[in-house]
Amino acid sequence: MPGIVELTNVVKDYPLGKLSVRALHDINITIGEGEFTAIAGPSGSGKTTILNMIGCMDVPTQGTVSIAGTITNNLGDRALTDLRLNRIGFIFQTFNLINVLDVYQNVEFPLLLQGKLSGAERKARVNAMVEKVGLTKQIGQRPNELSGGQRQRVAIARALVTNPAIVLADEPTANLDSKTGHAIIDLMSDLNRNDKITFIFSTHDPKVMECATRLVKVEDGRVVG
Amino acid sequence: MGVLFIIAFRNLVQARRRTALLSGAIGLVTLLLVLLLSLSQGIADNLVKSATTLSAGHVVVAGFYKPSPSQALPLVTDAAKVRKVIEDSTPGLDYIVSRGRGWGKFVGPGGTVQAGYTGVTLAGEPHFLETLQLAFQDEYVDGGKHEVLGDATRIAEPGAVIIFANQARRMEVEVGDDLTFVTETSDGRTNTIDLRVVAVARDLGMLSSFSVLGEAETLRKVYKLNEDTAGAFWIYLKDIDQAEAVMGTLRVALAQAGFQLMDHDPNPFFFKFEGVAGEDWTGQKLDVTIWRDEVSFLVRILDVFNLVSVFIAAVLLVIVAIGIINTMFNIVRERTREIGTMRAIGIHRSRVLVLFLIEASMLGLFATVMGATVGAGLSMAIDAAGFPAPIDAMKAILLSDTIHMSVRFATLAQVIFVLTSCTGLAALWPAARGARLRPIVALGYTS
Repeated sequence: MPGIVELTNVVKDYPLGKLSVRALHDINITIGEGEFTAIAGPSGSGKTTILNMIGCMDVPTQGTVSIAGTITNNLGDRALTDLRLNRIGFIFQTFNLINVLDVYQNVEFPLLLQGKLSGAERKARVNAMVEKVGLTKQIGQRPNELSGGQRQRVAIARALVTNPAIVLADEPTANLDSKTGHAIIDLMSDLNRNDKITFIFSTHDPKVMECATRLVKVEDGRVVG
Repeated sequence: MGVLFIIAFRNLVQARRRTALLSGAIGLVTLLLVLLLSLSQGIADNLVKSATTLSAGHVVVAGFYKPSPSQALPLVTDAAKVRKVIEDSTPGLDYIVSRGRGWGKFVGPGGTVQAGYTGVTLAGEPHFLETLQLAFQDEYVDGGKHEVLGDATRIAEPGAVIIFANQARRMEVEVGDDLTFVTETSDGRTNTIDLRVVAVARDLGMLSSFSVLGEAETLRKVYKLNEDTAGAFWIYLKDIDQAEAVMGTLRVALAQAGFQLMDHDPNPFFFKFEGVAGEDWTGQKLDVTIWRDEVSFLVRILDVFNLVSVFIAAVLLVIVAIGIINTMFNIVRERTREIGTMRAIGIHRSRVLVLFLIEASMLGLFATVMGATVGAGLSMAIDAAGFPAPIDAMKAILLSDTIHMSVRFATLAQVIFVLTSCTGLAALWPAARGARLRPIVALGYTS
């Protein structure tokens, strides 16, 4: 059965002046639907580069990346943007909320970009998602009025609101204290278990790795386990 | 799209100091432009008023009669028939005035004035007394009283003239004094006649230096003209903006009625004497013009003033535009991460571009509305205060003794639209730079 994410012989080179630096060497990863996958490794090992490939924010130098059956290598910016909007949710290490929008508006933003739902449907979807991450009381607050953990919950709600096929989280606990970090991982884990959402997250925190149902270890741009 | 407006608006509010400074600069340029355009409009109003009181109607049917190939008289013969064609063929006609035209020397005890003698038939001019404002005595006599002397309605009396304040000062005459008019008639002889000043009118700019208003029959006697002649027909329309179209209509109608027409020459009649006198024809040719043609030399002054105004505003606008471009580049740089986040979530490049254009246009709209409102208020206050023009050269340009400013809503709307658009355009380059950013670069994952 084909995976929802398939990286086949992926190589990624970045130019560095007149030289070229190889960030990924012949990566082969297949992730099935509903998995809770951690991509683990030290800093500079290539975790984020792999997530960028899966997240359609970058394309490989060699090899193929297939997301939900779509090979992304030859897609233009517009098609990649549409793929991100409709099939992928993002959770960032530094939360990356839009500071001038409140919790409701931040979560609603991807739905507005999609333009598929009516106002009433959007409202119901956003309220349900905000409730799911436990921020109903903070729904009218702006990011600078929230704690780090609350901000990451908003980011999770924003990532999930479009019902994406995959949610990517780049070191989602790195900027949180360990207790809050675990709470965030527990929330993601619950959503994975209950709603069968595919999560792929990068981490170098061993405690976080323990929560994953599947672990992909990366070192020096290579999958090592 | 609504959320882009919210983001743009809140970002402007968040960066209060920057927004205030940039708005201030754009607002000041707007204010200056509104002031200049209000002054220009004020001059244009003065020009229309003085031109259509002293020199022309909205449309003018005049002409030259040549008794011999070398002579040209500013006359319309067969005047009754010409008038009938005008009455029957002018769309939107308000009324017609028949004015006599003469040119000569007015001699007073203190000096001489070279000016046109405009023959007025008061009974046929419904708005003559409304448009002419009489001057206070102290405006033309040192130590005179601050009261109006004389009576403009007496212009209907034989030998009566109304002169302007500047002429009264130069000739040292006042109401009740006599003048002598010296002119050359069609047979080449010099004729003189004594005239009585029945009123002194307030100056209407430069034109009032070259025009004396007098009773029409007196003029006819001086030039020995018969009843069926006129100097010119001044045609007043219900809408002055239709003047050019009506001129075209009248040219066709007069030609169809059998009158010979001169080619349209957008200049006052006294500029044409020499040219017509040199042409090899005799008899009558009609000349149809509009008010702007009769004061074309003043329109050029206004055009130059407008050109200078636009140039000043354009230079300031370029400076402000450079400021806007620089500021927008800073804004894009500061919000690179936000751009990256939005691009990662799934916003298209075109919407990032639109977001920054909305932000700049919103800023521009706010600033220009504020600037235009203050500028309009200031213009109205200056106009109401009636500040005197400090020097004579300025009076000549302003076509008035006082600074008159006129604010038009349409002008304000145009200024707001143009400057807001310029602000938006100035943001195009930085906005495009922001929109072109790849999400992976904007998020700082790679350079």
